[in-house]
Amino acid sequence: MPVKTTSYRDRTHEFESLVEKLKKPSSLSPASTAPSSSSGGGFDGNPTSAPQETTRSAAPIQSEFNKRASRIALGIHQTSQKLSKLAKLAKKTSVFDDPTLEIQELTTVIKQDITALNSAVVDLQLLSNSQNEGNLSSDSSAHSTTVVDNLKNSLMTTTKEFKEVLTLRTENMKVHENRRQLFSSSASKESSNPFIRQRPLATRAAASAAISPPPWASEPSTSSQLFPRNQAEGESHPLLQQQQSQQQLAPLQDNFVQSRATALQNVESTIHELGNIFTQLATMVSQQGELAIRIDENMEDTLASVEGAQSQLMRYFNSISSNRWLMIKIFFIVILFLMIFLFFVA
Amino acid sequence: MKITALLVLKVGPDESKDPVILANATDVSSFGFFQKSSVREFIVFVGRTVAKRTPPGQRQSVQHEEYKVHAYNRNGLCALGFMDDHYPVRSSFSLLNQVLDEYQKNFGDAWRAAQADNTQSWPYLDGALSKFQDPAEADKLLKIQRELDETKIILHKTIDSVLERGEKLDSLVEKSSDLSAASQMFYKQAKKTNQCCTML
Repeated sequence: MPVKTTSYRDRTHEFESLVEKLKKPSSLSPASTAPSSSSGGGFDGNPTSAPQETTRSAAPIQSEFNKRASRIALGIHQTSQKLSKLAKLAKKTSVFDDPTLEIQELTTVIKQDITALNSAVVDLQLLSNSQNEGNLSSDSSAHSTTVVDNLKNSLMTTTKEFKEVLTLRTENMKVHENRRQLFSSSASKESSNPFIRQRPLATRAAASAAISPPPWASEPSTSSQLFPRNQAEGESHPLLQQQQSQQQLAPLQDNFVQSRATALQNVESTIHELGNIFTQLATMVSQQGELAIRIDENMEDTLASVEGAQSQLMRYFNSISSNRWLMIKIFFIVILFLMIFLFFVA
Repeated sequence: MKITALLVLKVGPDESKDPVILANATDVSSFGFFQKSSVREFIVFVGRTVAKRTPPGQRQSVQHEEYKVHAYNRNGLCALGFMDDHYPVRSSFSLLNQVLDEYQKNFGDAWRAAQADNTQSWPYLDGALSKFQDPAEADKLLKIQRELDETKIILHKTIDSVLERGEKLDSLVEKSSDLSAASQMFYKQAKKTNQCCTML
């Protein structure tokens, strides 16, 4: 068609430069849709219009992906900030001044955030998969998968920190309980208050989050085992609303099994401590053995010196007691005195 | 820390029938003479109710007035324990486990055919009731933990006495070194008196 050859402008170079720009991972923005749409308007019946349309339709999806990813990253950042606040609170608890309520509120808030972020990341991943099926270049699909993986990793680290904070908190609580028992020596709190039917504790995640429910879902159950029961029940009420349909018997089963697990762990740690104590005992005794050897040496030295001294004295005594020399000497001295005496008088 | 009653019931698959009592051991000595029989009936009634409501394969604890009733239903054979609030939950469930195992060992599967309440007493259950008043007996873990704690206390005392021994050994070392120095001085003096003045 001769009309076609004259009425189109070859904007292939512009298109290629646009594709280059779009290929850059961070430059994907709604701003790039503007030049593409404006240049798409300049075309009329052109072999390159088809890919242009897909860039136009792919670009909004990419920007949607970016928006969501940035929202998730912001959420993760905020959650990690809250987590650092929680960590500070957990560290600074003392025996009498527990900001327990705040800690629990913060814990539940963080948990909800993490679940929400989990589901958001899963959605993002689905979105990126769906748009990767009919997409332009492998680079953008690689980009989206990288972004999703990064978000997943940061969420995972956040969850791990959360778990660490919770374990720190439970250790603090244990220490407080020990101190309280030491000072009060009242009713034994070690016999855990058994569960009452009216206050079931929902633990297993019926939630849809697929990525990391086990690490953080097991936390409420383990942390509730270690907390005094009342506190655990107070903490579970927000979860309760989420999982009302849960049967109350399954948690009791879990708690029974988990209480055995914690008891086993306690026994194991006690045995470990005992081992430590024994090794310390052994070192102390060996050190003292060295002291005993020193004492023995000293005593032997003393014995040798005393024996030598005794022999010397014996010799001296013998020489004193059996010396004729001595008698002759004394005799001579007496004679000498007599002579001097006679000399001076006479 | 008291167990008031131990029951073994058969729970039928349908919820309309009441569970059938297979074994019963109660300790009603803490109640007055005239209340004993009513307490026994009360225990039987509550036991039936709780056993009926416990689904198979589940453990359950119900608070009833001042008792806790722990129930463990294992495929239709259900064991219940009436304990007070201080009895640890874990020990009670391990006790119920043991009771169920013992029952199955003794009676096999004959209980499945039982339709009427069994009024004979099962001596093992009575013995168990008296033996397991102390929760450590029922729960091996508790016993082990207790023994380990005692051992730790003993070890602490041992370490204290070893430290004392160390102090005493220290003083002994000092004294022996002083003694050795003094004896050496003594020896030198003796040698001096011997060697020095042959004239006197």
